[in-house]
Amino acid sequence: MAVTYESTREMVDNQSRRWLKFLRDNASIILIYTIILLVIGIAALSNENFRSPSNLVNILRQSIILGLIAIGQSVIALTGGLDMSVAQVARIVGLTVATIFAAEGSNPDLIIPLIILGLLIGMAIGLFNGILITRTHANPFIITLGIASILRGVNLAISSTPIRGIPKAYLLIYDYKIGIVPANVLVMALIWVIAYIFTTRTRTGRAFFAVGGSERVARLSAISYNRTLVVAHTFCSVCAALTGLFLLARTGVGDPSAAEGMDFQSIVAVALGGISLYGGRGSMIGTLGGVLLLATLSNVFNLLQVNIYYQQLFLGLIVLITVAAYKSPRAA
Amino acid sequence: MATVSNNASSDAIILSLKHIEKSFGGIHALSDVSFDLRAGEIHALVGENGAGKSTLIKIVTGAYTPDAGDIQINGSVYKSLDPSQARSLGIAAVYQEFNLLPELSVAENISLGAQPLGRFRLIDKRARAALAYELLERLGAHTHIDPNELVKHLTVGEQQLVEIAKALAIDARILIMDEPSAILPSRDLDRLFTVIRNLRDEGRGVIYISHRLNEIFELADRVTVLKDGQTMATKNVADTNHAELVSLMVGRPLTDMYPPRDNTPGEILLEVRDLCVEGTVYNVSFTVRAGEVVGLAGLGGSGRTTVCRALVALADVRSGEIIYQGKPAPRSPAAAAQAGLVLVPEDRKTFGLVLNQSMRFNLSLPNLAQFSRIGVLQNASEKGAIQKIIQNLQIKPPAPDISTENLSGGNQQKVVVGKWLMANPKLVIFDEPTRGIDVGAKAEIYMRIRELTRQGVGVIMASSELPELIGMCDRILVFYEGRLSGEISREKFSEEAIMRLATAVKVDEE
Repeated sequence: MAVTYESTREMVDNQSRRWLKFLRDNASIILIYTIILLVIGIAALSNENFRSPSNLVNILRQSIILGLIAIGQSVIALTGGLDMSVAQVARIVGLTVATIFAAEGSNPDLIIPLIILGLLIGMAIGLFNGILITRTHANPFIITLGIASILRGVNLAISSTPIRGIPKAYLLIYDYKIGIVPANVLVMALIWVIAYIFTTRTRTGRAFFAVGGSERVARLSAISYNRTLVVAHTFCSVCAALTGLFLLARTGVGDPSAAEGMDFQSIVAVALGGISLYGGRGSMIGTLGGVLLLATLSNVFNLLQVNIYYQQLFLGLIVLITVAAYKSPRAA
Repeated sequence: MATVSNNASSDAIILSLKHIEKSFGGIHALSDVSFDLRAGEIHALVGENGAGKSTLIKIVTGAYTPDAGDIQINGSVYKSLDPSQARSLGIAAVYQEFNLLPELSVAENISLGAQPLGRFRLIDKRARAALAYELLERLGAHTHIDPNELVKHLTVGEQQLVEIAKALAIDARILIMDEPSAILPSRDLDRLFTVIRNLRDEGRGVIYISHRLNEIFELADRVTVLKDGQTMATKNVADTNHAELVSLMVGRPLTDMYPPRDNTPGEILLEVRDLCVEGTVYNVSFTVRAGEVVGLAGLGGSGRTTVCRALVALADVRSGEIIYQGKPAPRSPAAAAQAGLVLVPEDRKTFGLVLNQSMRFNLSLPNLAQFSRIGVLQNASEKGAIQKIIQNLQIKPPAPDISTENLSGGNQQKVVVGKWLMANPKLVIFDEPTRGIDVGAKAEIYMRIRELTRQGVGVIMASSELPELIGMCDRILVFYEGRLSGEISREKFSEEAIMRLATAVKVDEE
């Protein structure tokens, strides 16, 4: 529906229309946060365990893994692509770091260098993804799927059994608390704020929207398409590497099946949050909503002891419903 | 030379359009068009870009519904047609862009709509190939087109013949050819003309659209001239000449919407030497001075737009030099824009705007560096600059957050122009700066162009609207089939002079 502006309209009318416009422009975000509140409300009323403070904090902590990956995936989705390699990037980082820890006798002095190494691995893969996509002009989905397959092979070669020998100090990344709140939840909140500012208030952030909205217009508007895509993919893979490092602290072992299914889940979170999978529309606030909703639902399912198979089924249904609900009226 | 066939049966009118009107969002594409086609004639349709030729064709093929008027086919009257109805009435069109599936064979393409079926309702491949062969034979093309060849392996000329064969497969009585010669190398033209003449002699009616007047005199029996959505005249080709057609196509009054020129050109800003772009532009050389408006005229496909694109590194330059401010021109659109060499592109919806984003987003896009400090956008400086440009260009509504897809065409175009005005360009290339926008917005844009030249900015203005070229330019370069066919200086400006060069009519032919 187009908003019409006529000089003769009354101010009062303007006021109410501004509200309508706000609702219309932010419909998807309002919708998802309403659903989250509903789910939390129903779960809190019907289940005692759910409303305990420690469980609520737990939901936040559980949402970090998906949250980190989804931030990266959001950026790719804004540019009009999808990154299918995020789970394998997280895994290769975790396995590499674990392998070195194991070989070096759980030396805690290696924690900082290995975190840096992990991030560098992520950066390198992201750079490679970006360069490959801009050189071949292929669909990012296909390129990253190919990279994912290669990484999966490498991961299997590194280890097919859990790797032990992570130093105790490393586990603090997951366990350290300030009062009742885990430190990592606070760090995560900070990362969200940074990601929000990055996408909305920086030149590069605008470039993501421009490239996703129309590659041709962006090119003609002094935006470097290649640079933008390479930056986006590097950013996304670094987010995935962070996830891998975080997962390692949670499980305490190098897990050869770490981050399984996170490719799909991150896309679900992004789509739920209202980022158009055709690029150029959406926001980090929406993605955060998607992540929180999925984390809450998963928590509720576990409390109600719903079978994992049904959880999968439910996730699939959510995707189909979201895609139908967000079907752009502009497409018609 | 043209021969008007006189036997009685071929004089029957098979298609008649009466007082057709069609408008798009307040812009009249066709305001009163009448046209008829006889069996066994080749009827040419000519007119400038935007005269309404394609709209008319789309009404005949059922792609558009007319707002008013009647369509008479074989004596029955229709208010409008839909595409399948048009096909069953024997109407077929061959466009410049073919409707062929490149990965399928010639025979498969020809029978795509109705595959011949054999036993068990399976496709009878042999019958299909035989049908294709028979149709190609009627076109005289059976000797060099194999029905089993994949379409992608054929030349453009051969593909065109396959398109015509498709039309014969549904026994089209009315065949529309939309600039068939524009895409053909000249050696294939004779073959095409022979085919078209044969179709006429079989009693079919052919509507032939072309910008090349020479072809019309060689091929057509009658010609209808459209201008500004109206029929100007229908003539027997034998009774008219180049000059008359040209004046029918262009003759319209100049208005005073063009602000007067009030500065003198300065230094040479851009020099193009022997520019060649694969298959579209050949050996084009020209210069542009600071503060000068250089017009590029030429019909659709003349290479005008390609030259504009090549200047900002959007086309693959095969050879030649582009010297901008004394140095070789930047090699990417982004670098060109940073150096102040910008293109306001022809199609604002595809190349000018990120449609689902706000006016503010679009206006800022090429100017992000101006508004940011260490990569972070400064809200205040962005907002201020945007308010200024909105006011300056009178963009309506003056609401920076409105999505650009909700703006009218004129205001969309102002946003595209505005985003580049903010970038302080040195040389602006306008490609069709006023296509499809209202008179008020046009005047606004002409004023901005004058303002630019006053500041010493060089302007290239490619346009198919001759009055605006004449009103705005210091010099006009005319293109014909990828080459510069001439340059006209201000004192010699006239629409006839431009059209003569644009259709390559030699003066001594008249």
